[in-house]
Amino acid sequence: MRMGLHTIVVSIAGSAASLVTAKYAVALAKLLSVKLVALYVVDKKVLQDLLKSRIFVDVEARVYERDLEQQGAGILERIAKMAQEKGVAFEGMLMKGVVSDEVLNKVQELRADLLVMGELKEMTSRTEVFYDEGERILRRCPCPVVMVKNPAMVEALYKETAQQ
Amino acid sequence: MKFTDFLTKESCIMDLKAAGKETAIRELADMLTQQGRVQDEEDFIKHVLEREMLGSTGIGNRVAIPHCPTQSVRGVVVAFGRSKQGIDFQSSDGCEVNHIFLMGTNPQDLNVYLKLLATLSRLLNDRVFRQDFASAATADDLIAVFKKHEK
Repeated sequence: MRMGLHTIVVSIAGSAASLVTAKYAVALAKLLSVKLVALYVVDKKVLQDLLKSRIFVDVEARVYERDLEQQGAGILERIAKMAQEKGVAFEGMLMKGVVSDEVLNKVQELRADLLVMGELKEMTSRTEVFYDEGERILRRCPCPVVMVKNPAMVEALYKETAQQ
Repeated sequence: MKFTDFLTKESCIMDLKAAGKETAIRELADMLTQQGRVQDEEDFIKHVLEREMLGSTGIGNRVAIPHCPTQSVRGVVVAFGRSKQGIDFQSSDGCEVNHIFLMGTNPQDLNVYLKLLATLSRLLNDRVFRQDFASAATADDLIAVFKKHEK
């Protein structure tokens, strides 16, 4: 059994709130002196579902996939800069597939000690819970999970965290 | 993600005046523009029509979902229009379309937009939803149908 904490994984979506989640993860990695791995997953399942239902055509789905990849690469680059500023060892990973499967497989593969993720959105129906990838990650994650809330507190913590 | 977070009774036209595909898209886009949700109406319509050229968004069961990402919209926008006489959308099943969902997104909100499209797709795959939805007489009824089936 490994002793102590070594790796924190942060799961990033494409929203503005993701950067708040990332800031918390960077601050936490700095405070705990551990490596931070950020994961961005291009949601291929949703693209395939929209193709199957004929809402999308092939070429369109490929353009969305490319755009999501670019968006993910941009977000990972921003997090890499944050980590560099704070002197945190960092690795960004851009993946494609079913979001929950990809995140959970990577958490296992990296033997992550902690997963940081954004707040779950309010669920008003069982259907929503069933289809929510964040919910699946939270329930099936093999390591402890930190869910980031309160952007103002996160911002303050991030600013207080010592630079490199 | 709830569809009714984005579709409101104010963004529904229960009796479209338009008789054609482009005019229907224009009528719905104009409503969204008047609500301040589209910044550049012509650019939005241009992108929607360009997407239609790749293949019809008439997905069958008398429903069409013209859509596109464009900088011309604020966040994710949805409008609904019902045509009593039916509109030729070159649908995959060859039938005319009576129900049109016009959707757009700013590229920054792609993930939300894709999930919303997937939510709509799931609802439309449900025969009971389609029956309830087709029989909704007013915008209030329509929103109530969505809320009932999203529970």
